[in-house]
Amino acid sequence: MVFKSFSISTARSVWIGVLWIVNIGLAGCVNVAPWERGNLAKPQMELDPHPLQSEIQSHNYSSREAAPSHKSSSGGGGCGCY
Amino acid sequence: MQHDNASQCLSDDRLNNSEAPSIKSKKTLHALTSAALVLPGLLMSSAPATGKDRVNFQYSRYQEGERNLFGAPNSLKPITADVLHGSGIFSLTDRAKFSFGYTQDTWSGATPVTITPLATTGGNRPYTDGGVVVGASPILNSTVLLDRDLNPIGRDPLTKELTGAVDPRSVLVMTSASPETRRQANFGLSYEWNEAALNVSGGFSRERDYKSSFGAIGGRLDFNQKLTTVKFGGGYTSSDIGAILDHDSSPYITKTAYLPQIVRRENSEILRGERQDWVANVGVAQVLTKNALLDTNVGYTHSSGFLENPYKAMSVIFIDPGDLNNRQLTSISGDVRALLEQRPNIRNQVALNTKYIQYINPLNAALHLGYRLSVDDWGVNAHTFDASWVQPLGNGWTLTPRIRYYSQDAASFFRPYLFSQQRYTTQEIDSLGRKVWLDSNNRSIQYVGNDQFNLFDQNGNPVDGFNVVPKNVLFDAAKLPENFSSDHRLAGFGALSGGVILSKMLGKGVALETGFEYYTRASSMQIGGGSTSFADFDYYVANAAIKFDMEPVTSLPMGASKTSFESHAHASSHHHHKIPPAGIMFGHMLDKPGDFMAGYRFMYNWTGGHMMHGAHQVNDQTIINQGCQGEPCRFVPTFMDMRMHMIDLMYAPTKWFNVMLMPTFMDMDMNLRRLPGAPPAAPGVHEHTGVAGHETGAVGDTYFSSLIKLIDIPGHRVHVNLGVSAPTGKVDIKLRRIAKNDGGLIHFGMQLGSGTWDFMPSLTYVGEKSRWSWGAQFSGVKRLEEKNKSGYSLGDMIQATTWGGYDLMHWLTTTVRGAYTWQGAIHRDFDAFNGRIGPMDFPSNYGGEFWDIGVGVNAIVPQGRFAGNRLGFEWIQPVRSDFHGFQLDRQGALSATWSYHF
Repeated sequence: MVFKSFSISTARSVWIGVLWIVNIGLAGCVNVAPWERGNLAKPQMELDPHPLQSEIQSHNYSSREAAPSHKSSSGGGGCGCY
Repeated sequence: MQHDNASQCLSDDRLNNSEAPSIKSKKTLHALTSAALVLPGLLMSSAPATGKDRVNFQYSRYQEGERNLFGAPNSLKPITADVLHGSGIFSLTDRAKFSFGYTQDTWSGATPVTITPLATTGGNRPYTDGGVVVGASPILNSTVLLDRDLNPIGRDPLTKELTGAVDPRSVLVMTSASPETRRQANFGLSYEWNEAALNVSGGFSRERDYKSSFGAIGGRLDFNQKLTTVKFGGGYTSSDIGAILDHDSSPYITKTAYLPQIVRRENSEILRGERQDWVANVGVAQVLTKNALLDTNVGYTHSSGFLENPYKAMSVIFIDPGDLNNRQLTSISGDVRALLEQRPNIRNQVALNTKYIQYINPLNAALHLGYRLSVDDWGVNAHTFDASWVQPLGNGWTLTPRIRYYSQDAASFFRPYLFSQQRYTTQEIDSLGRKVWLDSNNRSIQYVGNDQFNLFDQNGNPVDGFNVVPKNVLFDAAKLPENFSSDHRLAGFGALSGGVILSKMLGKGVALETGFEYYTRASSMQIGGGSTSFADFDYYVANAAIKFDMEPVTSLPMGASKTSFESHAHASSHHHHKIPPAGIMFGHMLDKPGDFMAGYRFMYNWTGGHMMHGAHQVNDQTIINQGCQGEPCRFVPTFMDMRMHMIDLMYAPTKWFNVMLMPTFMDMDMNLRRLPGAPPAAPGVHEHTGVAGHETGAVGDTYFSSLIKLIDIPGHRVHVNLGVSAPTGKVDIKLRRIAKNDGGLIHFGMQLGSGTWDFMPSLTYVGEKSRWSWGAQFSGVKRLEEKNKSGYSLGDMIQATTWGGYDLMHWLTTTVRGAYTWQGAIHRDFDAFNGRIGPMDFPSNYGGEFWDIGVGVNAIVPQGRFAGNRLGFEWIQPVRSDFHGFQLDRQGALSATWSYHF
């Protein structure tokens, strides 16, 4: 990786790292029994309750903004050269 | 998929309050435990191939608002994009799933080619019609008057007269694009273990100027009794760029940095490039409490190669250093030139995504909060905040309002325009400091000398009496920054958007969904604030989708509701009447009241080969002389493809009466060739040059229909169809304005609909006995209006067809069909400007009499996972054609259908 000009990249990396550690740390102390997971299984609690809508949104954002699309791991998308 | 069943069951219970409490609690417990067992599906819902077996169709329209040109005329239509999407997920085994997706988008409209100071003599230069300003032409090379601090001195945007005051504003220079279509297909396979899953996917995207192929692999691992899921993924995209440089603006764009990459084909310049993108991401989804979960992931993207937008230019203002040093001058003239943008060849991006989801118990709703940080080595650091509230409303309705804020910093090499303290061109100086001149009669001969009356040849001998011109050389590129772009996507800005999604479960596995979003972008909304507003704009997106759930038999025992089992059993045990060949529309009816059928129909129509006159081939000279109603023809089509995607929705209120709704989506492409010996273009006519053809695509006409059963006795059925076609397809698509000439309306056959309300009756007879089936249909199209909004109407049509079929297997039928079609010529003509360049622009060259043979297969999946799905294919081979006037020959047509009964 060649990062040319990350003036505040160190601070950010630390921040990202902390968040990860917090996330992993949470894993150990949570205990939700299987019969308590009814709410979690509802459609409105899905990570992406409207995948068709997200696809459209991210396609439009990525043709109008410079940040990478969150769908970019699936590839494609074309030029968007307009 | 199973957890979906369970949750469906849960909400069914909630709705069904009249149920006995004991049954209800038992069912709820069942649902809860099955939900718990299958929780991982929930944590990977964004993976391509999870969830129950499903088919989706979606149509979306993107509409941009007008750009602010600060008083310059803005006659160009803003960008619109019509997007059609279809996708599906199917179980192959209990653990393996196959998914596919197809997306097609067609866009057209005004797009910025560069940014200049508003105070130039060019930019968006007004043009007039009858003394009235009606539009603006993009003028890329111009001059600008600057004060000694290089501030532009203002000009009136209409008259271009100097105002005398400094005007620091910049403006987008707008050009317009004729419609272009992109198609993308992707496929995926996934496999599930008890505590893990793996999926691979791939696909490709095709445009005239940009082709990419991609592949990805991803998976998940569950830990901690499935409370924690680790996700990982990686992907690679390879893209080939072959940008056909706009033959209208290209002569005015300096492309010296890309000369080795530009090839010429016919009259077009094609800029070639390659690009690679690698992505990797890893994430964790964690259940926090019984009502909350957190999802975090980090993604890295490495892009290399040609990362430019090949249609964007940077305005560089060249200033003569002599003028700068001359203290006598109070103002300096800047020479504005457009140079193709130059981005770095490498980009590394890192993005962090976090999403927190909280269940709101009293309201049975869910709050989704997201934050995303992305940083890259171009200096584009972006923050995104979004929140949505998913609120089930009962009776299968769900309402989801959503809000999003985005802010990005400008790329380090973004500038609206650049200054360069050198002349754009200067006279070449040889090693001895003498000016170089060229013989104006033979430019390969050079002379040197300080003025044109005092010249020496290559051998140092004095020469005289020649006509010479200065030998000019371009600016020194080394004095420009290495990278520069004025693409407003790389500028600093903020954007606020909000929208709402409404969905409704109709029962029987059919769901409708619609979404709307409004987006507004402003540099002043950037975190930290920006001050320039030249690139501010807004857009809205509206979309509608229909989703069909198909439940495989083997998934039923786990949490399946009684109704879904019944509906499925019904589907697979249904007595199937034999269905007509795929090319027949309105050819069968549903038998049971309450039955519902959803389907997809694809029709491809191919014309190409020779030009025909009546039933015979015709030579080019005859076309030139006779094909265009007294005017000389200059072009003929070389091929034209038409594709129609149609969604079939059919419902049976009673057993003798069915209703149908069929929205369509059309897209077409056509290439032309110049007729050898044709006269040159008349002034003011759209001239075709180069390799690019024309494309159109968007919503076509929408059909509504009532089918009435007249006879239904064993072995024989007759029904009548009374259909109406609503003019939802556009008939006023225009080619863009080029070379100071309006493109005018595109050819009749490339418009997307009839433009008129049409009556479409048909009478169908079908018979069957053991393995044999047969039928006949008479159908017609009667235009109900004299003319559409562009002034013409398509000809009426009558068709008679008859077919026979034989069952090779109990699930597979082959058919042979004959058809006769008569279609009238177009009535009236365009009432607005059309180029009239070839036979396809004249109403009398449409319609004719046609004889065809069709060969097809129909299949119905009798059992197993895909039971109840019907598929049909038919190829229509032209046998004889008798065209009205001069037309391109017919090569054939393909029909493919899929349908499913619920």
